Amino acid sequence: MSENDHSKAFTGASRYVLDEELARIVNISMALEMPLLLKGEPGTGKTMLAHAVAESLGMPLLVLNVKSSLKLVDCLYQYDTLTRLNDSRFGDSKRDVSNIEDYIKMGKIGQAFVSDVRCVLLIDEIDKADTDFQDDMLDVLDQMQFDIIEIDKTVSARHRPVIVITSNAKKDLSDPFLGRCNFHHIAFPEPEMMRQIIRVHFPDIDMNLMDTCVNAFYRLREFQGIEKKPATRELINWVRTLRQDPDFRPKDLVVGKIPYLGVLFKKSPDYQQAVQQIRRWRM
Amino acid sequence: MFVDFFYLLRQSGILVSPTSFLRLQKALSVGMIQSVDDFYTAARSILIKSERYFDLYDQVFAHYFRGAELPDFKGVELEEAARALLEEWLKMPEELAAALGMTQEQLRQLTPEELIKYFLDRLKEQTEAHHGGNRWIGTRGTSPVGHSGFHPGGMRVGGRSMGKSAVKVALERRYRDYSADGPLTQAQIGEALKRLRRMIPVGPKDKVNVDETIRATTRNCGEIEIVFDRALRDRLKVILMIDNGGWSMDPYVEVVQTLFNYARAQFKDVKTFYFHNTIYDFVWEDAPRRHKPQRVEEFSTWDPDTRLVIVGDASMAPYELMATDGSIYVDERSGRPSVDRLNLLADLFAHSAWLNPTPLRLWQMTRTIGVILKVFPMFELTLDGLERAVTHLMSKN
Repeated sequence: MSENDHSKAFTGASRYVLDEELARIVNISMALEMPLLLKGEPGTGKTMLAHAVAESLGMPLLVLNVKSSLKLVDCLYQYDTLTRLNDSRFGDSKRDVSNIEDYIKMGKIGQAFVSDVRCVLLIDEIDKADTDFQDDMLDVLDQMQFDIIEIDKTVSARHRPVIVITSNAKKDLSDPFLGRCNFHHIAFPEPEMMRQIIRVHFPDIDMNLMDTCVNAFYRLREFQGIEKKPATRELINWVRTLRQDPDFRPKDLVVGKIPYLGVLFKKSPDYQQAVQQIRRWRM
Repeated sequence: MFVDFFYLLRQSGILVSPTSFLRLQKALSVGMIQSVDDFYTAARSILIKSERYFDLYDQVFAHYFRGAELPDFKGVELEEAARALLEEWLKMPEELAAALGMTQEQLRQLTPEELIKYFLDRLKEQTEAHHGGNRWIGTRGTSPVGHSGFHPGGMRVGGRSMGKSAVKVALERRYRDYSADGPLTQAQIGEALKRLRRMIPVGPKDKVNVDETIRATTRNCGEIEIVFDRALRDRLKVILMIDNGGWSMDPYVEVVQTLFNYARAQFKDVKTFYFHNTIYDFVWEDAPRRHKPQRVEEFSTWDPDTRLVIVGDASMAPYELMATDGSIYVDERSGRPSVDRLNLLADLFAHSAWLNPTPLRLWQMTRTIGVILKVFPMFELTLDGLERAVTHLMSKN
């Protein structure tokens, strides 16, 4: 680790409200060169953190969106057999058909390794993939190198990327995986924090409207038996909707008249649950 | 540095690995940590790998750095066990009264808290006085559920303390949310379950079959012909129903957890429901069995190809299974015996299996196991049994 890294400490970005604790954790992970695993409910800004780190350190950001069908090798590199087949038939490209390396394309992890400058690698929603994938990937990230078997070549990282991994709290990750990461759980924002977030999105919002919305929102979040609780994103959309409606009065919310519930509860059982419990609330 | 902090964390049940502790030392040595606050966040993010332990970490941290009192882990354990026992006994107050050496009248006047306290006091006397085969704990076999015994300290523990008033609510076992406890890495169970899958080609033909493409192209004298395939996906649906009720399932919590964790990791489409002892009109989607009931009849609209796996000890009073209105919960009166419900489920899902954590050799001692054995193919919840259950579930394809 060079002195350069120390001078480049993460202090927050222009559009990301960062608490001190999280900044400290990010800096320690960078100093120890460990991936930082972030858990937390949707809408707590896990993904945004990586964007903010990249922005404030002036590093390029590479995003690897994990899908359940994703294979590790796809994240590292791809051997484009079809193009090669095509070239061998028509031979009209500048690529050399007998040189397989011309047909190797780097995946996101590969790109992070061969990049000329140090970059931030965001591995988003790791929990979607199966356990084997997670463990194998951590091996690669640990050793900072991988092999391209088609051309028998080892790719090593030129600069160790800053790695941020996010996971939705639902499934537990394996022990070896956790052992190699630093861990932080981002709690759902407190009402005060939420007001700040709303203010960032709607600078001209009426204070009364905002307060009643936020209060009602936190009350709705406490409903029992909701599978997908409304998160920050839902609240912002809801506020936007309410502002569009000329007939809406903020005091309706206080007496338990909640319009546009579908913006907040997107699963139909959740919606019905919410309707029922609001009825109880009004009584 | 902070070696005793490390051991204190381990003692309180947080599995901190030596590697991560060394990593903390590294963080200290590079000068990243300059205050107690720094240490708090750094140590937490490096040592603690799940938010579940954050609270415990806070307590240990406060104890280590500020001398705050540590929670008494032992105490909870005993109380938990006592409450479980009391629940059983409350079904027959005469016996409880007799055992505690008071009349039923006196018993009725006690609040649950007082009752438990009184009981714990007696229990302490007891364990000090004689070991083994004492009278109270020796009432084994007389409760309607017919369970074997009571082992203080031998039971696994949950968490918070209780503070409710009504006896029924107060003494209701705090539910076991099997998913909430840490995963037990027993790779073999995962291996056994891996065979429980069915790969079928689905979706549009969008995957290039390279081998076939080359073959077709050469056959075509070099004129390229690309062959597409459908992607293979695991389309097996699984319903997992877990008995998370009374304390009779307690000794098996660990193994059921393992199973549950693997099922969740393994199957894309697994639905979990909970029940207590046996199934009546409803099973529940939430572990406390309160908020999200699912009617048993409604399973008729589900894909009959779904694999149904029930996990439970199948041990209860015979009337709970056979009698109409057999449920031990007053609000669960259906008019139909539970065994009918089980038959219905077995009819709906041709591929079903009952996993029983009770050891095979004890099965013939419990009548209800025999009855359920006729409804569902039952397997022991061991690696071996699991293998056979999987083979059975996949056999009739």
